[in-house]
Amino acid sequence: MTDPIAAVRQAFPDALLATEEAFGSPVITIKPESLLEVGRFLRDDPELNYDLLSSLTVVDRLKLPDYNASEARFVGVYHLRSVARDGDLLEIKTPLPGGDEPVAPSVTGIWPAANWHEREAYDLMGVTYDGHPDLRRILLPNDWSGHPLRKDMPLGGERVPFTVTWDDEEFKHLGKQIMQPEQRLEPVPAGMDPKHMILNMGPQHPSTHGVLRLIVELDGERVKNVEPDIGYLHSGFEKQAENVRYKDFVYYTDRMDYVSAMQNNLSYCVAVEKMLGIEVPDRAQTIRVIMAELQRIASHLVWLGTHALDVSGTGHALLMYAFREREEIMDLFEMACGARLTTSYMRIGGVSDDLPPAFIPRMLEFLDMMDKRLVEYEEMLDENPLWRKRLQGIGYLSKKDAIAMGVTGPMLRGSGVKYDLRRARPYCGYEKYDFEIPTSDLGDSYGRYLVRMAEMKQSVRILRQAAAMLPEGDYLLDDPKITPPNRDLLDQSMEALIRHFKLFTEGLTPAPGEVYRGIEASKGEMGFYIVSDGGAHPYRMHIRTPSFANLQSISMMSKGHLLSDVVVVIGTIDIVLGDVDR
Amino acid sequence: MGLESYLPETGVVTTTLESVVNWSRKNSVWPLLFGLACCAIEMITTGTSRHDIARFGSELFRASPRQADLMIVAGRVSNKMAPAIKRLYDEMAEPKWVIAMGICATAGGPFNNYAIVQGVDKIIPVDVYAPGCPPRPEALLYALTKLQEKIDREHLRDHYPQAQPEKTEAGVYVANTADLPPLP
Repeated sequence: MTDPIAAVRQAFPDALLATEEAFGSPVITIKPESLLEVGRFLRDDPELNYDLLSSLTVVDRLKLPDYNASEARFVGVYHLRSVARDGDLLEIKTPLPGGDEPVAPSVTGIWPAANWHEREAYDLMGVTYDGHPDLRRILLPNDWSGHPLRKDMPLGGERVPFTVTWDDEEFKHLGKQIMQPEQRLEPVPAGMDPKHMILNMGPQHPSTHGVLRLIVELDGERVKNVEPDIGYLHSGFEKQAENVRYKDFVYYTDRMDYVSAMQNNLSYCVAVEKMLGIEVPDRAQTIRVIMAELQRIASHLVWLGTHALDVSGTGHALLMYAFREREEIMDLFEMACGARLTTSYMRIGGVSDDLPPAFIPRMLEFLDMMDKRLVEYEEMLDENPLWRKRLQGIGYLSKKDAIAMGVTGPMLRGSGVKYDLRRARPYCGYEKYDFEIPTSDLGDSYGRYLVRMAEMKQSVRILRQAAAMLPEGDYLLDDPKITPPNRDLLDQSMEALIRHFKLFTEGLTPAPGEVYRGIEASKGEMGFYIVSDGGAHPYRMHIRTPSFANLQSISMMSKGHLLSDVVVVIGTIDIVLGDVDR
Repeated sequence: MGLESYLPETGVVTTTLESVVNWSRKNSVWPLLFGLACCAIEMITTGTSRHDIARFGSELFRASPRQADLMIVAGRVSNKMAPAIKRLYDEMAEPKWVIAMGICATAGGPFNNYAIVQGVDKIIPVDVYAPGCPPRPEALLYALTKLQEKIDREHLRDHYPQAQPEKTEAGVYVANTADLPPLP
């Protein structure tokens, strides 16, 4: 086992400020001036090989109880993974100089994936990155003032709902935009040649799968450059998280990647459970795996239907077929928790309700059907000349580029990297299941199509195993500090009532500290970085979403293709804008 | 078995122009192909096989606002997106209607924060609000039938631009009839 702390200590004895162990993964604090050196060493050292930048964020320490004005207010936090070493995680922290106007060295030269992450930190936290190629706002409108994630900025919104009108001072900012929309038209983006045709695509466009806006530079029909403009669905999840209790944020996570709500729930609960140091009962673990895999199939079906619709004429039929199967999964979710899309089924400590007795037989019926249907889809598409022509060779991403751009999930596996967090860093007992990790060396849209189809088959396989091994027992942990008591006890036992009351008025309070946990969601690594100050609300929460990281490579993948292939590339990335913009 | 069986032998029916126009309008409401967030997925589901919005004459989701009659605001409206929505609405030809689908489009939903506009009715007029987070496809279909009922009650005059009422010194609004366009 390679020890990154010892290696850094040996190579850079002066750079190291502190080391610690946070819930099983090493954390090193280094001086900001040596960040680039240490970063390059960590990436290039053959033993360590931290080549994937999972997430990059900044914490504002202003309101932390142990903060004093003499130390750095902002701390940069980097999460690195080593793909070759099974996603081994390392967290680097560095105090940023500059007080209220912090400055940090840009790591885009080491991990190109940092580009958007740093722009996000600049946009929401106001950190200036030295040496960043294109530092400007990414999520908020260009004329926005202030940086909302700073601790001295209010949450915003309307204090008394539905009272603010156009005439109010608070609404001036928005009003200005709406009255003069032409003000918001930007000049030609940097790096684009005005002699070429500059085409605007979106935010309302049928093929952008939501509210993505692309600025495309065209030479004839050939794409020279693509510049995504995101943030049209920015909803302030991270700021909102700092203002709700841990328990209540489960409800919000549904609404990020809304076609795989269960995965978001799971990712969040796994992170908080790690922080609380609790073990979830076996039955709950297995139910979670069942839900996560059903959701993976549902999410891939949405991808398949919409992608086929964008690409070829047969697509409309396929959209209908894919959604027909997806409805069956929605019915299963409804049986378990009463909701279809935004499920909020997972709870910290388990799941909200036990599976009804009819669930497993119905699911097995569905799986039998799914086996046949997947073959049907493949018969429709695999040898379809139109489908092959439009996908093969389009949106090529090499293994090296994919890792450098921080791409994860089926996108990375479509480039031939056998990396899956379910296998690399098992959670929820994934080590007990027998499944394969499908990969494809093609690296193009067709390869990713093959990977996703194979993944659905593997999910079916996992689901059969989970149904067979579903243990009896509790579906929710019984811990007075964390989970509410059984509802039936409320009118019988005073203790249960007090426990319920305390939990729902005060909430649960993890010990001060920080945690980062990532899971393999349908689209890639979904991770939650949570900082606790010991209170009932998270002090800071950063969400590493797969679509945000994956979308970054769109420019690289579209260059040199025809304009119509940009549509294929959007489809093959499988973005959900709620996941990109948060 | 269709309309013919109700016709008298002469083939003549007397009715008002308004009810014929409304009858045809309400049964071919074409929505704008435009989704924002979670609700958009349920909107797509409404259009697919199980729920089949074609039963209500609204299966033609048009990608161009020029060809659409109905804007289904499906999801949360962010500050960055609000101007685009306003522009899309302005680009739609009269007569046009709006359904605010889900609690976010209705009133901001759980996102009472810096990023989200607290209800799309702050920027465009809304005809029907569909509650839910997200509303089920059935709920959207119900909203659509409610809109059809509303269209049925409309008067042709409603879709002509109205002159702005003027405020007199006494504080009473008086319609300026001189600026009204002539009836066709």
